[in-house]
Amino acid sequence: MNKTPHPTNTSPKPHHGTLTSYVTGFVLSLVFTLIPYYLVVNKSLRGDALLATIIGFAIVQLVIQVVFFLHLGREKKPRWNLLFLISTVSLIVLVVGASIWIMRHLHYNMMPGDVTNKVANDEAVHQVSGLQAGTCPGGTGTIYKVELKNDVASPRHTNAHLCDILIIMNLDDTTRDIEFGVHAKHETYAGEFGGALRPHYSRMITLTELGTHKFHDHLEDKMTGDFTVTP
Amino acid sequence: MKEILLGKLNGHALPHEWFTIGGTVAFVLLALFAVIVLTWTKRWTWLWKEWLTSVDPKKIGIMYFLVAGFMLLRGGLDAIMIWLQQALSSGASHGYLSADHFQQIFTAHGNIMVFFVAMGFVFGLINYIVPLQIGARDLASPFLNTLGFWLYIGGVIMVNMFFALGGEYAATGWLAIAPLSETQFSPGVGVDYWIWSLQISGIGTTLGGINFVMTILKMRAKGMTLWKMPMFTWGSLCSMLMVITVFPLLTATLFLLFLDRYFGMHFFTTGSGGNAMMYTNLIWMWGHPEVYILVLPAFGVFSEVVSAFSRKRLASYKSQVAGLIGVTVFALSVWLHHFFTMGAGADVNAFFGVMTMVIAIPTSVLVFGWIATMYKGRIRFTTPMLWFLGFIATFSLGGLAGVMLAVPPADFQLHNSLFLVAHFHTMVIGGVLFGIFCGINYWFPKIAGFRLNERIGRYSFWFWIVGFFVAFVPLYVLGLMGATRRLDHYDASTGWQPLFIMSFIGGLIIMVGVALQVVQIIASVIQKRQLRDTTGDPWDGRTLEWATASPPPFYNFAVIPEVTTRDAYFEIKQNGGLPKPKYEDIRMPRNTAAGIYVAAFAFIASFAFVWHINWLAIAGIVGVILCLIIRTFNEDTEYTITAAEVEKLEERRQKKHAAAKPPEDAEDMGLWEFIKIVVTWALDVIRNKRWRTW
Amino acid sequence: MVKEHETENHEAQADDRVAFGFWVYLMTDLLMFAVLFATFAVLRGNTFGGPALRELFSLPLALTETLILLTSSFTAGLGMLAVRRGSKNQVLTWFGITFLLGLAFLGFELKEFAEFIHEGHTWQSSASLSSFFTLVGTHGLHITSGLLWMGTTLVFIWKRGLNSHLVRKLTLLSLFWHFLDIVWIFIFTVVYLMAYV
Repeated sequence: MNKTPHPTNTSPKPHHGTLTSYVTGFVLSLVFTLIPYYLVVNKSLRGDALLATIIGFAIVQLVIQVVFFLHLGREKKPRWNLLFLISTVSLIVLVVGASIWIMRHLHYNMMPGDVTNKVANDEAVHQVSGLQAGTCPGGTGTIYKVELKNDVASPRHTNAHLCDILIIMNLDDTTRDIEFGVHAKHETYAGEFGGALRPHYSRMITLTELGTHKFHDHLEDKMTGDFTVTP
Repeated sequence: MKEILLGKLNGHALPHEWFTIGGTVAFVLLALFAVIVLTWTKRWTWLWKEWLTSVDPKKIGIMYFLVAGFMLLRGGLDAIMIWLQQALSSGASHGYLSADHFQQIFTAHGNIMVFFVAMGFVFGLINYIVPLQIGARDLASPFLNTLGFWLYIGGVIMVNMFFALGGEYAATGWLAIAPLSETQFSPGVGVDYWIWSLQISGIGTTLGGINFVMTILKMRAKGMTLWKMPMFTWGSLCSMLMVITVFPLLTATLFLLFLDRYFGMHFFTTGSGGNAMMYTNLIWMWGHPEVYILVLPAFGVFSEVVSAFSRKRLASYKSQVAGLIGVTVFALSVWLHHFFTMGAGADVNAFFGVMTMVIAIPTSVLVFGWIATMYKGRIRFTTPMLWFLGFIATFSLGGLAGVMLAVPPADFQLHNSLFLVAHFHTMVIGGVLFGIFCGINYWFPKIAGFRLNERIGRYSFWFWIVGFFVAFVPLYVLGLMGATRRLDHYDASTGWQPLFIMSFIGGLIIMVGVALQVVQIIASVIQKRQLRDTTGDPWDGRTLEWATASPPPFYNFAVIPEVTTRDAYFEIKQNGGLPKPKYEDIRMPRNTAAGIYVAAFAFIASFAFVWHINWLAIAGIVGVILCLIIRTFNEDTEYTITAAEVEKLEERRQKKHAAAKPPEDAEDMGLWEFIKIVVTWALDVIRNKRWRTW
Repeated sequence: MVKEHETENHEAQADDRVAFGFWVYLMTDLLMFAVLFATFAVLRGNTFGGPALRELFSLPLALTETLILLTSSFTAGLGMLAVRRGSKNQVLTWFGITFLLGLAFLGFELKEFAEFIHEGHTWQSSASLSSFFTLVGTHGLHITSGLLWMGTTLVFIWKRGLNSHLVRKLTLLSLFWHFLDIVWIFIFTVVYLMAYV
């Protein structure tokens, strides 16, 4: 059927452009392309700020092109096209964002052993499966034992040097929650949190932070102790 | 030279094992039988013109049913083989299957059931029923509809092709997780057959999804706002929205795996920087929503059936729709629960565990809505109603197991155990399959013009549900006892064998149920005069599809009715029936073979990709492009039926209807009567050598 | 007269449906790209000891490609204005320019690929390069399909004139072309610019 083209004002067409809209869209897109380009080339911004900026510019250019080239948002209701686009963009954020989140967590938790040690070293995490993580290049020193028995830590005070090892042993029949700091204010030591210590279990801590640090049994508060680390 | 021409194809690819020879022979015999029948009855042209090139969604729907039904038997055969192997293979005995063959069987079983049985039945129902429910004559794009169907057929052929050429299917599990599915660990063509059968049928599904969304959103009858749509249409809409959301993810992921295998890329390989866990992440992003894609139309069916057979309006339509939408939205945020144990850590696991449990909420809104519909209704225990009640019992049980699995610490014990296997089979069989059987029994009179035999239908239901519980409760128990899935052999000291044997017996009971369903159909055909639906509305239905004849004319409605309320047809009946029709011209789409041609070239290209025959792949792609160009630049794809012609067709139909004898008042035949009839007929054929007159 | 109006109404409804359906298809295409983007984001650092992507890229080349494609999107828009005016020659001109710009874009992209391959950095070298070639290459394949579609449509317009059927085709094609430029914004940002952040 060869029909001559007829003005399509009567049809429910969602896109209806004008010269102005195309030119505006073109110029704006040029601007929003060149700015991030020069920001990157001239290194005017760095790191996260740069990343956020160029992604922000990309999103704005997306909106520019959607409005000025695709004429979205001007259709009569129900605005299915717009709704579908918004849903799709949300889904893309979910797909890409969740993938990055999940894969990053998997990567961190499941890396091969040799890489794990390197990361532990970089992040100053000193306990990795009970093995030292390379922060004490000269190796570890003396081993000090603290026994927890009958709600008493003995010895109550330990004096040690950097890169010595402290082993806290729970010789009672109850589980203890050995936390650093005091009952009212828990702390971390060398990036490590406190935690449960079951009966007859022990915990090994490489002493890589200087100073005096307290620990206590959070369940049985009268059981406290401390250790001092000097260089 | 031979490699350029034939790629990896060689003589060794031809069948030489007992099962590849057996499978090839079986398919060849079937094909031969079909060819003989068609030639003898001179029906080739009829088949081509009336069915294969048809764009009528009613005909395409029926074709989907037939193929899906056939694939149900094919996948069921796989199931029996698995049951038998696991029942036998304890201690000293290693059953009758090698480990590798067993792995191929459960892989094929999963693929066939999900992609070709469940999706096939669902697409069949949606194709046939949704246009009738919304007052449309066809889908938005008839061409995409036939193309989608033939791509599905391409997938069906591809998943069975290995019998004849190649001898192996993927032995990786139904999702072919990397790196096992990479070339390094699966060098044969099995995984490639897997990739391409899913890829082409997946693209067909996506096209179908686009088509259905277009149709439901843009082609409803005048006055039918979204809030007045029938529930099956709502379920289909939500399902198809999910299809267009997640099938592209599958297409892309399969594409990446293909690139790894064909071009030596390193997305999911064990070396060169590949990350196999990304495959698991991507494939489940598709995989979880897929099961909701299957079940949402089933939910829609149940809403229709409960309302019809409780003789009540659906309790709280808006909550039901909200429930469907809730399930759809949440289904997109739970996929990690398939790999809690992969080590993403507590934060990630907690989020996805909570989201998984949250999905139970909109689902319960639906379940309570159905029960509320039954409350104070006048219930008729027809076969569809039985399937619905069976669903409630079964699906709830499986759902409880699901909530258990949603808790990450519990899942660490139950992941990949038989508990999991029992859970998802409960959901898929209890939810999707029962929903399909319910829908088929409910709409059969509309589709065929006569209803299904109720007595045998009831027997088949009872065998199915009893068989289901006998088969799968032992699996729940085994899972809790520590039995892993996909075991082709286990130690006798585990004490598991009795439970596996019980499961196998359950499987046999289910097979009896399946056989009875086949018998039900044949018995209904034999008694079709008694069971005939003369009014078009055998159940006193509430939605528009019941306003047409059974079966409807090819244009569905002579005049598209105008709708003012929910339960449109119920309202029409209250107001004294349809108004006198004012006939208008009708534009109908022409039949076309373009779908067949495009799909055929796509199949050729896929086959070439499986066997690394580069020139053939290029030829296939070029063929697809050329056929698409020819079709899309064809400007003469519709024809008009004038108002006068419509009036004549309607008058002729009504005259035929009035002249037809009223159905005799007789009871539905029972099983014993059926057996007597069949035996009498067989004896008659043999004694009187009746085949000479065929 | 009533019949003609009905046919026009039927056509208009069909146009609307087809445009919407094509839009839905574009959304599915976007989701496929999302997987490729997600994969690139996860794997871009896995160079297997090879050079980082920023050592291989040329930002000026990427900018050139971006500006070419953006201009072609603009000229496609001008082409659609010509369609509304019903001017067959202007349509052929503007879409012809769009076609040539698209071809130039492809040329630059293929040149970049060829250079990498020549230096031994292929899609088989590492996961990083696999994901680069796939993401950018898939976009390039879409551009190629668009050019094929454009060329065929222009030939039919030249032979049959601008009828409603071909107008509908061009509408969909321009949607497709704009959409490809939008995807490119993100390739330019995420693949090329982000390599240097």
